[in-house]
Amino acid sequence: MQAEMERCGYIAEPAIATAVYLAKEMQKPLLVEGEAGVGKTEIAKVLARMLATDLVRLQCYEGLDTNTALYEWNYQRQLLRLKIAEREPRDPGELEDLIFGREYLLERPLLRAITRREGPAVLLIDEIDRADEGFEAFLLEVLSDFQITIPELGTIRAEHVPFVVLTSNRSREIGDALRRRCLYLFVEHPGFEKELRILQSKVPGVNEQLARRITRFVQRLRARELRKLPGVAETLDWAQALVRLHRDALDAETVSATLGCLLKDEHDIKATGEEAVTELLAYAFEKE
Amino acid sequence: MSGAHGIVAQLARFAGALRSCGVRVGLGDEIDAASSLTLVDLLDRAEVHRALRIALKVPRGAWETFDKLFAEYWDGHRAPEHPALREARKSDRRPPAQWRWDGERVRLALRDEQQDTEGELPGYSPEAVLRRKPFDQFSESELAAMERLLARLALKLATRRSRRLVPTIARGIIDLRRSFRRALGSDGEFLKLARRARPLDEASLVVLYDTSGSMEAYTRVLLSFAFALRRVMKRVEIFAFNTTLVRVTRMIAPAGIPQSLQRLSAGVPDWSGGTRIGGCLAEFVSLHKQTLIDRNTTVVFVSDGLDHGDTALLECSMRELRARAGKIIWLNPLLGDSRYRPEAAGMRAALPFVDHFGPAHNLKALEGLLRFVP
Repeated sequence: MQAEMERCGYIAEPAIATAVYLAKEMQKPLLVEGEAGVGKTEIAKVLARMLATDLVRLQCYEGLDTNTALYEWNYQRQLLRLKIAEREPRDPGELEDLIFGREYLLERPLLRAITRREGPAVLLIDEIDRADEGFEAFLLEVLSDFQITIPELGTIRAEHVPFVVLTSNRSREIGDALRRRCLYLFVEHPGFEKELRILQSKVPGVNEQLARRITRFVQRLRARELRKLPGVAETLDWAQALVRLHRDALDAETVSATLGCLLKDEHDIKATGEEAVTELLAYAFEKE
Repeated sequence: MSGAHGIVAQLARFAGALRSCGVRVGLGDEIDAASSLTLVDLLDRAEVHRALRIALKVPRGAWETFDKLFAEYWDGHRAPEHPALREARKSDRRPPAQWRWDGERVRLALRDEQQDTEGELPGYSPEAVLRRKPFDQFSESELAAMERLLARLALKLATRRSRRLVPTIARGIIDLRRSFRRALGSDGEFLKLARRARPLDEASLVVLYDTSGSMEAYTRVLLSFAFALRRVMKRVEIFAFNTTLVRVTRMIAPAGIPQSLQRLSAGVPDWSGGTRIGGCLAEFVSLHKQTLIDRNTTVVFVSDGLDHGDTALLECSMRELRARAGKIIWLNPLLGDSRYRPEAAGMRAALPFVDHFGPAHNLKALEGLLRFVP
């Protein structure tokens, strides 16, 4: 599993590979928690790539309701169809079937995920902690039965049960009921080796020595007291920036100029002044 | 398949040990874990470790306990009372065995070893003195002023609009789904469009009210606070705590003050006795967190924080509350004294989790609360 994920461009720790494997075999949703930028969302994307299937993404936000999560009728189109029908006499029953047909139904992510014909889709329910508790309860129902009832059409059952990945930034605690229905994975910031490999595979332009230094620098930076620790995404951004600037070596000036790629908090940037940068650089250059 | 059976039994014992160390593991999780074990290589220790942690849904905070117990149970050297286990038991902050049912209510069983050397601080009396407090009647004008104040507070607390859209008869965005349904009744003509708008989130309030001896001087004004709250807010729950936690919402009927007072002094044990904030709060969290606390809830503590119970327990419960509640307000009557510094151990443990820390010795101090609430 690990090797397969790697082939699809995701350097997975054994824990992540095991979780994905178990979720797939046991047909259970996988709840992924962890700090921002550790690659939670990426897990679903890689899973979709691995299974060569569609990724259906439902981005959660406060106030998300069934109209945007499940389905909605295309009212404008229905109205137009009715206007046209006024000119051509037609059997009313036939017309009704027509305008309440599937073409007039706007499928939202949850419905789309369970109606995919070609095989199971990967359903990514992103940042579930942002949706309100009521939506969480509604999800429970969908995730346990995988069927959706539309009054005009009847009950639609899942043709293939999708692989479900839920992610959460822990801005709010997820209810126990939902947690119990899922397998649980907590993703941490990657270790040196893993981060180095991610860096090398995602930013090909970076040379071996620079990659090592960048990784060591970031690893050391994470050990500091910061409000917002830089994630892997930040490391990649930073490496990209350095490559664009054609910098082959790290020096204090470059680091200070590009620190905004790593630290996204005013307080953190101030706290990482010249002295801190020098110390971090010394560490990054140490073991060579 | 006696081998497989042995593993299941081992798993059940393991899950039991996790539970006894305070990690919440349900039967459903055990079933998940058992089926996950059929999918992995049982000879690979690391693989089994990962699979169990994933399938038992062990939260990040409990990984250490999990690792310790895993080493005990799955590496084959299980000692009857391993020091690690004892350690874990010690750090378990919510021991359910502490409660007992005395026929009327759940009580916190007192732990005797904590009752020494702590008597010298003013205001703290570890012995639960069974006393009934005679209540004065409140003056009418005092109560009225309090009510006006709290009505304003209640309004202010309920100014947050939900992001959800609900049907409304007033202005709002057009709800096509309902408009179409409605048009069915009038032959497809849209006589009136249905609309949706963002409703006001009803604020709810949970008041945890310290009735210990050190708070005695302030009970009068603070009790009227509770009465007034009951009158002006629909969703308010009031708890009294000293050495036990009692839900007093029902005892405080807005209509009859004298009767309420009588019910209160009869229903709250150890009135004006000692305090165990940590224990009572832990009980509150485990019994009522799910049902009473959500993001629209403001939790109000009325206490001086003089508590020599388990501050670790207090801190842990405060953290859990913090993760769930909208706002936490701590009203401390002692703050009225300018020389007061929040240095009591209990107060210090709770402060990092509190949004607003304010005085509550008289009506004027409570007015400050209005300014704080946005």
